Amino acid sequence: MDWSILLTQATINGLIVGLLYLLMAVGFTLVFGVMRMVNFAHGEFYMLGAFGAYFLTTQAGLSFLPAVALTFALSVAAGAVLEWGVLKPFRRDELNGMIATIGLAMILQNVALMFFGPDPLSMPAVVQGTARLGKVVIPLSRIYVVVFALLALALLYGFLRYSRPGRALRAVVEDFEIAAIQGIRSRIYYPLGFGLGVGLAAVAGALMAPLFSVSPFVGATPLLKAFIVVILGGLGSIPGAAVAGLALGLAESYGSLMFESSTADMLIFAIVIVMLVVRPKGLLGRGEA
Amino acid sequence: MTELSLESGPARSAPLRWLLWAALAAVAAAPWFAGPFVQHLAVLTCLNVLIVNGLAVIARCGQLSLGHAAFVAVGAYGSVLAARYFGLGFLSAALVGIVLTASVALALGAVILRLKGVYFVLVTFAFGELLRLVLLDGASWSGGANGIAGIESAAIAGLAFDSRGRFYGLALFIALGSVALLSVLARRPFGHAIDAVAENPALAESTGLSVHRIQLCAFVGGCALAAAGGALQARYVGYVSPESFNASISIGFIIMLVIGGRRSVWGGLIGAMVLTPLPELFRGAVQTQHIFYGAALILILRFLPAGLAGLPGPWQPRQGKEFQ
Amino acid sequence: MRYPIILAGLVALASLPAAQAQETLKLGALVTLSGAGAAWGQGMKNAAEVAADQVNEAGGLEVGGKKYRVQVVAYDDKYQANEAVTVANRLVFEDKVRYIVGPVGSAPVLAIQPMTEKNKVILLTLGFTAKALSADKPYTFRPNVTTAEVSQPQIDWLVKAQGLKTVGALFPNDETGQQIALDLEAAYKKAGAALSTKEFFERDRVDFVPLLTRMMARGIDAIELDGNSPTTAGLIVKQARELGFEGRIVRTGGPATQEIVNVAGKQATEGMLVHTPIDPDLPATKAYAERYAAKYKHPMNGFSPAFYDGTLMLFEAMRRAGTVEDTERVRAEMEKLDGFEGSLGKLSWTGRAMYGIDHQLNAPFYVAEVKDGREVIRARCTVEGCR
Repeated sequence: MDWSILLTQATINGLIVGLLYLLMAVGFTLVFGVMRMVNFAHGEFYMLGAFGAYFLTTQAGLSFLPAVALTFALSVAAGAVLEWGVLKPFRRDELNGMIATIGLAMILQNVALMFFGPDPLSMPAVVQGTARLGKVVIPLSRIYVVVFALLALALLYGFLRYSRPGRALRAVVEDFEIAAIQGIRSRIYYPLGFGLGVGLAAVAGALMAPLFSVSPFVGATPLLKAFIVVILGGLGSIPGAAVAGLALGLAESYGSLMFESSTADMLIFAIVIVMLVVRPKGLLGRGEA
Repeated sequence: MTELSLESGPARSAPLRWLLWAALAAVAAAPWFAGPFVQHLAVLTCLNVLIVNGLAVIARCGQLSLGHAAFVAVGAYGSVLAARYFGLGFLSAALVGIVLTASVALALGAVILRLKGVYFVLVTFAFGELLRLVLLDGASWSGGANGIAGIESAAIAGLAFDSRGRFYGLALFIALGSVALLSVLARRPFGHAIDAVAENPALAESTGLSVHRIQLCAFVGGCALAAAGGALQARYVGYVSPESFNASISIGFIIMLVIGGRRSVWGGLIGAMVLTPLPELFRGAVQTQHIFYGAALILILRFLPAGLAGLPGPWQPRQGKEFQ
Repeated sequence: MRYPIILAGLVALASLPAAQAQETLKLGALVTLSGAGAAWGQGMKNAAEVAADQVNEAGGLEVGGKKYRVQVVAYDDKYQANEAVTVANRLVFEDKVRYIVGPVGSAPVLAIQPMTEKNKVILLTLGFTAKALSADKPYTFRPNVTTAEVSQPQIDWLVKAQGLKTVGALFPNDETGQQIALDLEAAYKKAGAALSTKEFFERDRVDFVPLLTRMMARGIDAIELDGNSPTTAGLIVKQARELGFEGRIVRTGGPATQEIVNVAGKQATEGMLVHTPIDPDLPATKAYAERYAAKYKHPMNGFSPAFYDGTLMLFEAMRRAGTVEDTERVRAEMEKLDGFEGSLGKLSWTGRAMYGIDHQLNAPFYVAEVKDGREVIRARCTVEGCR
């Protein structure tokens, strides 16, 4: 394979994966932006979304898109309830809130283990086959995910920009105190923000369930990727998450062409440490470190 | 209500205090009369006390480290490799491991300690993962995923600690020593300085304390304690591998500290004593155990933020100023 | 604290029923029941349980004139060495177990051997590392064949019959993966081909597209799947075919065909060449598979028959030694078993050349081709070679 084709293939791979990372990270950064909470349970909501999609398509017989939509709705509701019931005392208490979400993550993962068992389940593929652009190969199933991810992100953008609750959320992210003075009530917007954030995680899980397997342990990697993307892009910044997500996907893709996988992983952690030390706000973040 | 309560405290709780000391002594002595499995649990508890006390020192100046297991690893691998390649005995090798960890902590702390709150947590997490990958990858010196097996038992001045009972004695001594160290530290000016830095760094700085230097000392000290725990652990288990020092182990230490009490000298001891034997009661139902941990963590954070050590009782120090 | 009191109470309660019924022989199962390797761990535990059921249904294990009811005591080691040490301590000192099935992983078995060998506890382990068996570890046995035994004969056959020249492989970055990588590299070289590309990845990884792209760019004509967990192998197959890889896919170890077909689908796996320890037409194997499926409601994992046979051999050794207490004599009898009729066929011990001691079970194995999601046997093999 000559280098130009290899590079093109790597670029396409990287952009696709980058979009997946973006989807995983955008909910995480939203929760931090609204509530200043590092949500360690983010990966477990991804996992629950994957199970949701799996059961809705295989047991309830829904087709894929309605299953994803229903999973989203259920996750937003569940997230809002959990926030109000469990995490309310920790609003704006960064450190303790983070530890509380560690506890929440343990509970969610083990409840899933109790109900579903440890064995990975395979969801039937939504589409099969590949598309070819010249010599470059793109699996159709991934294109499917990309299209729906873009759709979800467009909907999110529309919501945040043009709807009243969306604008209120953005106001809370910008400056919590002034937003409160303006009459935006935290009682509504904290559960809403958290619910929306974990709902996005669940959508990511649901979309990716046919691509990868479904088990109670699938949440760890998305959490890790979300951490990395959000640290690089800036905690609380959605555009930052977008740029950093794509950058991470591309960096991993190019990195695996040149380095061994383990070296590439180590480099990424080293870059994360350097970024946190040199510019803790991340590329596009605002706010204090 | 304006009556000062300083005098009435000790007189009321003195007999209870003696009872508690006696109970602690009985618990500490019990493993020597029990079976090997109880002794095994007792050794693990002591090692955890030591390591979590290290975490407590770091937490005391307001920072939470999610990479603590990495420093345990550096201490463990450092001492084992020093013994293998330089032929050092147990004490010298352990010292090499501790000094190596302290140097790494010094270098890392110098750059990361100005981060606060969640940022510090995330960077220590990243460091922990980085170290684990380095250990996995360095098969030629670290043994890679296979780790290093057949580590000799600890021996000091010819006395070998190769039986459980003997090793328990060593571990108990060092664990209680670390609690004593913390207790002494809390009373000295340095301890007060750490508390001041945690409460209000700006104010502390303005009174002339160098926040950065104090935090760095505390960080290095805490990591050194972790390294000591690692060196002992390597000798007891006889085997080290990167998987024993991953993020979930670090999370386990944090759980022990939070449940025991982050601000109390006894927090590490209480947390380790409660949480190390607990899995054995749950052996049949692993998921229930973890759900219990998660719930306990949330409940303690919500209702008892000072941890179990925050419960009112005679173990509270006489001056109520320093602790909640 | 309260712990010794609770324990004393439990022991008192537990000893009551034993006074009335027949004696109980406890068989420990120290296996991975969560996370990676759980499928294998469960297969091993279930194998011991099926063997125990079988013996109990016949009235108990008759040894030295006494009948024993066999009870399997199982604990999860979470694939972690430290956890395995704690669990082993519990089994040996609290539950007073003298025979243990497990562990699954190489790191756990290396960690517990100092204690189990010192206390003369017989281990039937899955651990793939070559270091698990040696002349100074007389109480450890391995019922399953590992890469060291099966890869050379199979690879010789694959290179000769299928014309493989350059092979690429992906391995998880843990002790099993690293060990298998070494074994396979040597085996391919000896057969005249080359394992030209080896990539290691983090065990939880699910996206292999960048690694596969890199491998395919190097020009390989086959992908080797040995060393990967069933789901991971399935994902690799699926993603490789999605990237347009048209060459052969082989798996020279680690029976996992059912799971791989589940994940990758029948089309992607068509024509795959896999190692299988099971000839489904053999009546003894079929009997065991049916028994397993009836009890556990899902098909058995490929390693399970080996541990079923290992447990039965252990029982036979106990019968011949006439004791369940003296593990020294049981061990001696175990070593002497030759031509034992197990579910896999005629079994004997081997391994002196490689490990210094004959504690590796020598069972027949096969190379099968996957057609329409099922295995069809193409070659029959022993440690000597394939035909």
